[in-house]
Amino acid sequence: MLASRRLSSIPFASHSRSRIYFIRRNSSAAEPPPAGGHLPSIATSQILKSTKEKALRTPGLLWNDDEDTTGIVNVGRECRKMNVYQAVRDALSIALTKDDNAVVFGEDIAFGGVFRCTMGLAEEFGRERVFNTPLTEQGIAGFAIGMAAMGHTAIAEIQFADYIFPAFDQLVNEAAKIRYRSGGRFNVGGLTVRTPTMSVGHGGLYHSQSPEGFFMGASGLKVVIPRSPIQAKGLLLSSIRDPNPVIFMEPKILYRSAIEQVPIDDFALPLGRAETLVAGADLTLLTWGTPIYHCETALHMLDDPPPGDSRSVARTGRLVIVHEAGMTAGVGAEIAAEIQKRCFLRLAAPVKRVTGWDTPVALQYEKFYIPDAVRILDSIVETLSY
Amino acid sequence: MLCKFTPRLRSLRPLNRSVHLGHLPNSRSPIVPTLSFFNSVTASDEKIPTFRVLDGVGKPVDGAQLPEIDEAFARKLYENMQLLPTLDVVLYNVQRQGKISFHVGLHGEEATIIGSAAALELDDEVLGQYREMGVLLWRGFGIDSVMAQCFGNQDDISGKGRQMPVHFGSPQHHFHTISSPLATQIPQAAGVGYALRRTPDRRSRSIAACYFGEGAASEGDFHAGLLLASTIPSPTLFIARNNGFAISTPSSEQYYGDGIASRGPGYGIDTVRVDGNDVLAVLVAVREARRRTLEQGRAVLVEAMSYRVGHHSTSDDSFAYRQRSEVEDRKRIDNPIARFRLFMEAQGWWNAEEEEALKARLKADVMKAFKRAEALPRCELGELFTDVYAGEEPWNIREQRNELVGLLKKYGKTWEPWRTELSKFKNGGKDLTQA
Repeated sequence: MLASRRLSSIPFASHSRSRIYFIRRNSSAAEPPPAGGHLPSIATSQILKSTKEKALRTPGLLWNDDEDTTGIVNVGRECRKMNVYQAVRDALSIALTKDDNAVVFGEDIAFGGVFRCTMGLAEEFGRERVFNTPLTEQGIAGFAIGMAAMGHTAIAEIQFADYIFPAFDQLVNEAAKIRYRSGGRFNVGGLTVRTPTMSVGHGGLYHSQSPEGFFMGASGLKVVIPRSPIQAKGLLLSSIRDPNPVIFMEPKILYRSAIEQVPIDDFALPLGRAETLVAGADLTLLTWGTPIYHCETALHMLDDPPPGDSRSVARTGRLVIVHEAGMTAGVGAEIAAEIQKRCFLRLAAPVKRVTGWDTPVALQYEKFYIPDAVRILDSIVETLSY
Repeated sequence: MLCKFTPRLRSLRPLNRSVHLGHLPNSRSPIVPTLSFFNSVTASDEKIPTFRVLDGVGKPVDGAQLPEIDEAFARKLYENMQLLPTLDVVLYNVQRQGKISFHVGLHGEEATIIGSAAALELDDEVLGQYREMGVLLWRGFGIDSVMAQCFGNQDDISGKGRQMPVHFGSPQHHFHTISSPLATQIPQAAGVGYALRRTPDRRSRSIAACYFGEGAASEGDFHAGLLLASTIPSPTLFIARNNGFAISTPSSEQYYGDGIASRGPGYGIDTVRVDGNDVLAVLVAVREARRRTLEQGRAVLVEAMSYRVGHHSTSDDSFAYRQRSEVEDRKRIDNPIARFRLFMEAQGWWNAEEEEALKARLKADVMKAFKRAEALPRCELGELFTDVYAGEEPWNIREQRNELVGLLKKYGKTWEPWRTELSKFKNGGKDLTQA
């Protein structure tokens, strides 16, 4: 099911061993950069598109125009500075505008949502289309499945990914299997479940989890995790319109912190395609969601990587996978197994996983739990010097 | 039509009739100075009554008004009720012979299923548990389709042979495909009801009808479903089949309250309990319940009381937890089919010869369908891998199918378990073995 997941990879180039000392002097790199500092954070990330021109050149971007605009791709396109919650809200607004069968519901969404992702939608589209549900996750998922089974577009919200487990039965036993078990005669392709995910600095056990791995084994579901406002909008619109049930996990620490220029028109980004952000030849670094910024920081703790032309582990021979969820049976395990099968003869070092520990996410210990820049850097160094 | 005979719950009447002291700001609850607990949703502190039209020997009970049904409609009810045990007996025996893997009968619930099916419109969306085959048959699904699903052959329109027997489904008959996890269909039904409300040409015409057993009502999804359909609100009719047992667990170990019906008012929904062995009472109650569901646009609950005469399924021997004599007594004293037959005979609409002829015809029809289904091959083997996703096939599924193709080429002719199975598929599995 790797094909159903959008993963971002950052292969990068060589570094000199002397940089290690440099790195150790900057081991708190997951924090905002020091005043006048040189390390990127989310606020200064080069991954985020700071200009309209960069935003419009987003790889894979496809316009969903009412009229055929093939050939005049970017002429006259406008962008607006958005953070992730604004981009999500923008996508929901477009989905509701263009599809009369689309509805948005969940706990506390009518007033705008606890993360503001549904601000103003109830006023704009009415309470029949944007409404609160009673506090029942299994109910929300079941209700959404029923609507989608009738061909409607059901966009449900689970307030935190940590609370998706009461809906696990509905999502894994029902949503994932309805098309298959009915011989293709019923389906819930119109179902999208949005949910905030990953750590937020102080979320403790139940506002920090990354449960994507639990859903990855459920054939029939797609799991999508964006890393930025453009991705949040493009991937969410693709998820809503995908003919399969999709769980869309929004890294909640990025809701306000990740800001970039986002095209205001209706556009899609393809599901199931990884994106190479930095080309390189010596090592492949693969991640999704929040840790992408920790990876960027870690890379800058090395030399500026010279440009390369290879994107695959088969070429670089070395792979480091980064995710926030615990290691055991996490998504990294699946990727590592596939890579060792496909690239066995090309691997120059064991596949390394930098992940949360196999513990719950403990409140006061979070800085030591998450795979931050220094842990990523250390793994890169270990892997390159193997 | 007969709502004056529908028992109404007067739960809104204040339990304490002393002078009250106004209301709480966010509630209509009257403030009273005396402490008073309650444990009944009836004003009289009694159990919720059971609505009945015909007594045990098919005679109208005192004060009951019969629904206006003509002879043709009554015969259709009766023939459909009789078809269910005919199918059950054959499928039960076929399972015992190992020709199908599993069967769940609905012996004892014929009146509940057929009476409610007849009260619904043919395009009301039905979400069932697994004992509701009669709804599909009432709607013209056909015995061949029943057999095809149970045998999982190439004609299985319910699911290409992927699910266990009795997991029927058909969008054409507005019957959502059955799944094994209990109660999952209950909140889904609320969503279906809401979708109907948002569909212009069905908004004031169609409802969602959701069946489940009293055991399934213990699941969290029951709570979620009734809560959602009442709160959001969604035109959804919930039909609880209370047959006294969830596999071996008697209902006395399933709940301590007054059955399932007592929970309805807790969700703020109109509720009625009906004698599930009285097809006319079920017909009347569900018709009125359906009318209210549509009129109010929100949930209504019907609890149909019956007795599970058969075993839970072919994997169950119910005499391990209940006396054979108890079952025999119930079959003799309170048989839903016999009760309605006596009524039909009293009307001059039925007689012993017709009974014999019907039974013979139904049995012949069922045996013919059984023989046809038995002879048909399964779908193509490649269907194992289709319909997991719509759209572009994921690479992992494509690779895994190719892996099976390779294995079949290596072992398909020599590994006996595979060789035997391959012969049961359409074209002997050649879509994969020769791919």
